[in-house]
Amino acid sequence: MGPDVVIRMEGVWKRFGLPMPRWLGGAAREEARPWVLRDINLQVKRGETLAVVGRNGAAKSTMLRILAGVTPPTRGRIEVRGRVFPMIEVTGGLHQELTGRENIRLIGAIVGVPRREFARLLPQIEEFTELGAWLDQPIRTYSTGMMARLGFGVGACLSSEVVLIDEALSVGDLAFQNKTLARIRQMHEQGTAIVVVTHSLDTAQFIAQRGVVLEDGRIVAAGSSLQALRAYEQLVFHGRQRRAQASIAAARIYGADGNTAQCVEIGAPFGIEVECRLSRPAGEALFSLAIVNDAGVTCVWNVSAEEGLRCTAAAGKLRLRAWYAENRLMKGHYRVDFAVQDGASFAVMEQLAGVASFAVTGPGRARGVVAMRPRWDLSAADDQPAPEV
Amino acid sequence: MAASAPIATPPRRASLERVADLVAALVVREFKGRYRRSLLGPAWAVIQPLGYLLTFTLVGHVLNISSEGIPYMLFVYSALVPWTFFSNALARCAPTFYFKAAIVRKIALPREAFPIAEVVGSLVDFAVAGLILAAMMAWYGTPVGWPLLWLPPLVALVMALATAVGFIVSALGTYQFDTVFALPFVTQLWMLATPVMYSLQSVPRAWRGWYRLNPMVGIIEGFRCAAVLDRTPDLWLLAFSIAITAVVWIIAWPLFRFTAKYFADVL
Repeated sequence: MGPDVVIRMEGVWKRFGLPMPRWLGGAAREEARPWVLRDINLQVKRGETLAVVGRNGAAKSTMLRILAGVTPPTRGRIEVRGRVFPMIEVTGGLHQELTGRENIRLIGAIVGVPRREFARLLPQIEEFTELGAWLDQPIRTYSTGMMARLGFGVGACLSSEVVLIDEALSVGDLAFQNKTLARIRQMHEQGTAIVVVTHSLDTAQFIAQRGVVLEDGRIVAAGSSLQALRAYEQLVFHGRQRRAQASIAAARIYGADGNTAQCVEIGAPFGIEVECRLSRPAGEALFSLAIVNDAGVTCVWNVSAEEGLRCTAAAGKLRLRAWYAENRLMKGHYRVDFAVQDGASFAVMEQLAGVASFAVTGPGRARGVVAMRPRWDLSAADDQPAPEV
Repeated sequence: MAASAPIATPPRRASLERVADLVAALVVREFKGRYRRSLLGPAWAVIQPLGYLLTFTLVGHVLNISSEGIPYMLFVYSALVPWTFFSNALARCAPTFYFKAAIVRKIALPREAFPIAEVVGSLVDFAVAGLILAAMMAWYGTPVGWPLLWLPPLVALVMALATAVGFIVSALGTYQFDTVFALPFVTQLWMLATPVMYSLQSVPRAWRGWYRLNPMVGIIEGFRCAAVLDRTPDLWLLAFSIAITAVVWIIAWPLFRFTAKYFADVL
């Protein structure tokens, strides 16, 4: 193993279950079980970040579990150098009746931090979780996000050679997520190798330099994270055969100054920009954009041709911009779905969910789907007629 | 932040220390969590042996079971205390991985810590039941003396046996949940094959050879001798228990180590 390599998987195959000895009729039963991972070869060096993407059931989590040492591979070799910290939501191990602080200690023991080291880390962890007085409350009073902070706080304050992240980033509010991402970057700069399993393209893009795509337990594509994501998109949205007639090169949300934005204030203007390449000219190009919230509700859906953009598009690279003068979405996370159709034949040339995502932020505690502000009024309700609005 | 510390490969932790830390944390978790919302709290520790005690006292009087010259209640209870500890420890071991699946499936940790923690955790109830026994002995004015010193090694022995059997039932319970359902039945039968409600003397001599193969015989008999009969336990019988316990360990440990590797696959 080279000096820089912290993870090496060589010809790793995995099938679940207890290998039974032959005299118990084990071999036959074992053959019947399917392979979950097939011939995985992988190296991760110090300070590298690797995204593992793939559809549900592609065995991403199994791979992570093998890396974490939770389950042994059936065949092949795996070497991991140094301390591995699985930043997997550990909330399952928490005890509802214990206080936050007691649970932090429990997590520490579970992940194997020596007691002395843990005593030193405890103040930092407490600070990182930002739970303050809540730490003395039993965690049955906590929200899901608060609980996730406990587990994440421990991980964020430890130094380890390898960090494994399994979709844990989607917890907590936006501020906490940003803090977490910042922390991951910091770890990365200090040489920690990071393996993140995700199907959030944004997370992968944000964190990872390299990516591998898993499909049916095999690595079907590997390369830079962008290449891997492309391959993944192809896989998810097109199956393997169909070739898209258009491909998306980039998509972003931008603010009034034209700069890329991750957050949009309520009421502020913003735009969506998509760069795409058409492989054939479209008689009348129909672009549609949808903004979908966390719950999967399509909050906005607009079609270019019905809103004034009528054009014939030549083949080649195009930049599409949609400008919303006022953001009336309520606080939350949103993703943008994009589609381009040939208006003449109505053939879908490309359709992609989650080309970009953003968060809406705003003051106050108002909630809902739409941001509307009433003008409040209170007066004595005697016989006088209500004041005119 | 810890971040400012340079990343250094920490020395691979002595695994014994890791197990000890984990056991301690799990026991504390169990202990603190368990009684915080329960009305009767630690009283549960004595309700079960007291229930058995009343039933057995009734049965003992009806059948006129010999109790070697001490009050029958004391005779039964002195055996029930270690027996309840043993059977409770097993009952807690069997589903332990099932209940902790969320941790076991995601994090690599020394899995032997879980059954060990269940056994150690059962000591709390054992201590409470032991206090009641002490109170009963004071009430009856039982003479006590040097044989009491036999109690700590006997407790260690029953813990060793409970841990070994706990390894087996926790491994089986993880693969087949039926183990958890069958266990109360099995331990009840086991109790009947152990001198809890009758004395060893009442077992026919011809049967004793086989009877002694039950490692709990020497332990329970020894406990009763040391605690309430004020005499040194039968060392020959005790040596037999120790030997059988060692055999159980020799079977249980490799079995557990092997099966535990694949727990995450089946949970």
